[in-house]
Amino acid sequence: MARGGGNRSRLLLVILLVTALFFVTLDLRGVSLTKGSRSVTQTILAPVQRTVSTIFSPVGRFFGDVKNFGKTNAELKQALATNKLLKSKLAENSDTKGQLAQLKSVLDLAGRGNYKVAAARVIARGSASSFSQTITIDAGSSSGIRSNMTVISQNGLIGVVKSTTSSTSIVLLLSDPSFKVGVRIARSQSVGVLSGLGSTEYSLVLLDPSGTIQTGDILLTNGSEGNKPFVPGVPVGVVVGADNSAASLTQTATVNSYANLNDLGVVSVILSAPTTAPSKPLLPTPNPTVTVYVTPAPSPVLSPTPSASPTKKK
Amino acid sequence: MSPVRIIYTLGFFFILFVLQESAISLIHFPIAGFSLYLALAISLIAFEDHNGAIVSGFLAGIVLDLSPTSNAPFGQWALILTSIAFLFAVNRDSIADVTTSPITFVIVVAGGVTLALISYLSFGALLGEENGSLGHDATVLAGNLLWTIIFTPMFLPALRRAHEYSLTARER
Repeated sequence: MARGGGNRSRLLLVILLVTALFFVTLDLRGVSLTKGSRSVTQTILAPVQRTVSTIFSPVGRFFGDVKNFGKTNAELKQALATNKLLKSKLAENSDTKGQLAQLKSVLDLAGRGNYKVAAARVIARGSASSFSQTITIDAGSSSGIRSNMTVISQNGLIGVVKSTTSSTSIVLLLSDPSFKVGVRIARSQSVGVLSGLGSTEYSLVLLDPSGTIQTGDILLTNGSEGNKPFVPGVPVGVVVGADNSAASLTQTATVNSYANLNDLGVVSVILSAPTTAPSKPLLPTPNPTVTVYVTPAPSPVLSPTPSASPTKKK
Repeated sequence: MSPVRIIYTLGFFFILFVLQESAISLIHFPIAGFSLYLALAISLIAFEDHNGAIVSGFLAGIVLDLSPTSNAPFGQWALILTSIAFLFAVNRDSIADVTTSPITFVIVVAGGVTLALISYLSFGALLGEENGSLGHDATVLAGNLLWTIIFTPMFLPALRRAHEYSLTARER
């Protein structure tokens, strides 16, 4: 390249880098221009995401289904016997039924907590190019949703509303590394902070150094002032590993969340809630299990051997 | 890079961005996700000449900065992708034209995507962003690397043809 061309390249590079740094500085200083541009993008993206979500949802779980191929081989063979039309109708119906079941469960949880909720469908997930863990739902400010509102699924807390447009909202998930929520242990009422780790596990740090955490402890949201961002009493998760070593300054634990964040179809945003925690903990209702009672058949009475018979020494 | 091509490139990145945000992000990939946007952006940067690569990098970054799900400040991706585009432009002259060998091209694109993500994490760490544990970040990087290696050969011929078509007679 000629020297003049090289200089032009360098000048162009410097101008573009300075422009990028200028944008970063503006954003960090809270200039609304850059924030507004993302809001406009979300407004443009929303109808596309909604349409694509409807068409694309059966394909989205393709890789997950492939992982379970061996387990469901017999079911797949049986399914192949049905005709194509029936299969497509069945897929549509099962999708609707699944969403309905999730909606019923989440409304049940909201009803038990006397929450006023807005139900919404998940239409997109956070981009792979950013490390944040978010979902986009198809309800926004026109449904009464505002930033910093609690979002629940049928099993409990899943996140908090990060931003809204008139028809969509972005929800920051519980698993996001920047996510933190005040929780209390149902057993001891000790208060702690639960943080997302970017995976399916969460970290709990107890605020009271003398408190103890036990495996199996149930965690509920502690609530925030004015119920924003968190309403009290929502089930969050269960402790699966506690570190109560005397040497550590704080008691920490590993937690599994009640909500499965990889399987979110329908969620609810809590619009308003009672200021006090629900009188009964809103623990997720377990799936009904079939209990089989076995009555032992009468067995022939065996005469006790002398060594087995109780004897009383005199 | 002519103004017409700047508009074409911007349009291409925006369509790609919509595709990434509304369709690709819905797929539950095993081992983290796949950023088609980054893979295609880095591929396009590799096809371009000096100035074209730098401008394409900047445009790709600005469009990616529009992502409403991103926690990063606006301009962070523009800064990173412009820098990476410059690296590509400089090394294109010094090593060789990577676009002539498909295998080398795939490796370079996968390396570029990984470098972009590492830069994003490093810059984010400097700004105090929380991007998760080391293990989680490593999984995301490994996942993106794997899927980029798998998917890049699939779109490479189409991208090459589209790029050649977009060139003006003078640029050819």
